[in-house]
Amino acid sequence: MTIVLVLGFLLYSSWPLIAQQGVAFIVGSEWYPFESLFGMLPALVGTLWAVALALMIALPCGVAAAILSAELLPARLRNPLRFSMELMAGVPSVVYGLLGIWVLLPLLESQLNLLTGRTLLAAGLLLALMILPTIMVLAEDALRGVRQSQREAAKNLGLGWNATLCRVLLPQAWPGIRVATLLASGRAMGETVAVMLVVGSIDRIPEPFYNFLQPAQTLTSRIGREMAEASVGSQHWAALLFCGLLLAVIAIVVSLAAHRKASVVV
Amino acid sequence: MFQGKRSVLSLAVFLLGIFSGSLHAALMIKVVGSTTVLPVVAEAAKQYRLMHPELRLTVSGGGSGVGVASIERGSVDIGMVSRPLSRFEIERLGNTIEVIAVARDAVAIAVSKAVFESGVQRLSLAQIAAVYRGEIRNWRELGGMDAAILVIDKEASRGTRHVFASVVLGNARARAPGATIITGSNNEEQAVISQSDQAIGMLSNAWLNDRVRAIAVGEGEAALLPTAENVAQGRYLIQRDLNILVPKNSSAAVMDFVGFLRSEKGQSIAEMVGFHPVR
Repeated sequence: MTIVLVLGFLLYSSWPLIAQQGVAFIVGSEWYPFESLFGMLPALVGTLWAVALALMIALPCGVAAAILSAELLPARLRNPLRFSMELMAGVPSVVYGLLGIWVLLPLLESQLNLLTGRTLLAAGLLLALMILPTIMVLAEDALRGVRQSQREAAKNLGLGWNATLCRVLLPQAWPGIRVATLLASGRAMGETVAVMLVVGSIDRIPEPFYNFLQPAQTLTSRIGREMAEASVGSQHWAALLFCGLLLAVIAIVVSLAAHRKASVVV
Repeated sequence: MFQGKRSVLSLAVFLLGIFSGSLHAALMIKVVGSTTVLPVVAEAAKQYRLMHPELRLTVSGGGSGVGVASIERGSVDIGMVSRPLSRFEIERLGNTIEVIAVARDAVAIAVSKAVFESGVQRLSLAQIAAVYRGEIRNWRELGGMDAAILVIDKEASRGTRHVFASVVLGNARARAPGATIITGSNNEEQAVISQSDQAIGMLSNAWLNDRVRAIAVGEGEAALLPTAENVAQGRYLIQRDLNILVPKNSSAAVMDFVGFLRSEKGQSIAEMVGFHPVR
C-alpha cells in the first residue's frame, strides 16, 4: 500500500517531464538541466556500477566472516565479532563519507596513481564497508539457523568440513544469504551522502564503460546535490524526482526477481 | 498498558512544550544560501547577537541557487547570493525582493601548491577556457610540470560558477567538457585542491591558503592577482558583489540586521573574513 503511494507520488511529481519529453531521456547521456537535457544514463550506469562493485567486495567477505563466526569461532570470540559488526552497521553514513575523503581517497590516488581518487571504485569500496555488517549478520543468522541434525547427518556420512560447508550448510543458508544480499544492495543503491562525497559527481559515462577508475555520478548523489536548488514544480525538479522513481523501480524489480526465485527453490 | 498510556501522555506534554515554546520564543531570522557569503553573515550574526540577545539567527549554506530558491519559496528571511541575479530571476523576483550588496569578492583561479611552484603562476582567460573546454589537458602545455590537469568544476547552481563561467567561458551556464569532477561548497573544493598536486579550480578569494594558491589572470604582463587593491580598483577580471536577498516587506528586525551588515562595523567584518568592503 505504502509502496503504491510512494510510486504514485513519484510518478505524479515527475509527470511534467514525462509529458513534455516522453521517456526517451532515460537512455540519454547528457544531463544539462538548464538546456532541458535530462539524460539518465550516466547516473544509472554509475549507480549500477557502484552497487555491483560493493557487492563483489562485500558478499565474499561478509559470507566468509559469517562462516568464521557461525562455524569456527568459540562463543567467547563470536560475541565480540558480532557486536562489532552491529556497531559498524550503526555508524552514520556521513562518518564513512568523511573517512572516505581523508583516508580512502589519498590512498587510492597514491597507490593507483590516479588523477583523483574520486572514482566509482572509491564509492564501491565505501559502500562495501557499509553493507558488510548487513551481509555478515544476516548470513550468520542463516547459517546458525541450519539445524544441528543436518550437521550431524553430514558428519555420519563421513563428509569433511569443506563438503559439509559447500554441500549442506551454504545451500541450506542460501535463502537467508540472498535476502541479506538484497537488503544490502538496497542500502547501497539508496546511500547518498557518503557516495556524494567520493564519487566525483560528474555526469559522464566512464570511458570505456567498464573503467571504474574514473569519476562518475549516481542517481542519489545527483538528487543530493541538486534537490535544494531546483524550484518546486520545475522540469528540473520533476527530473530529480524521476531519478527517485528509477531507484524505486529498480529496487522493486530486484526484490520481485529474488522473491520469485525463492518461491521456486522452496 | 498503563505504562504505555503514561508514556504517550508524557510525550504529548513534551511535544506541547516544544510547540508552545516556539510560539513564545524570541524572534527568529533564518538566512540560507551561498557558502561564499556565509562567513560574512555568520560572523556578523555572532556579533549582532551580542547586542540583541533576544534574537535567534540561524545561518546555513547550500549555494546561491538554494538562496534564490528558498527566498522564492518564502522559507527563509534572507537569501545569500554570490552573483548578480539572472535576467530570468529578476523578472520573477524583481518586484518583491531587494538585492543588497554586503561585500565584494574576487573569484580566484586556484591551483595546487605543487602546480604553482612548477611554474604556472599566470594564465590568460583563453588558456583557462581551453583547460575547462578540455583542449589543454597537461600542465606542461601551460609551462608547468608534466602532469595531467585535475579540472574542478562546480555544481551548476553555484554563484562562483556563474561568475567564472560568464567571464571565462562567455556564458553563465556554459558547459565545461574538460571538467574531471564536480564539487559543491567552497570548503569541498578547497579540500580537493589542497589534497591534490595537479588541481585547478575556481574559488572565492577568502578560501586561499598556502596549499591553495591563486594565480594571476590576464594577458602577459597585464595579468593580475586578486589582491585587495586590484579588486577595489575593479582591475581584476573575475569579480562580483556578494549579495543578500531581502523581501521588500521584511520585518523591522530583519531590516535592522541588514543595516548592520551595511554599517561600518559590518563592512569591517567583511574585510576581516577576507573580502572587500562595498563602499
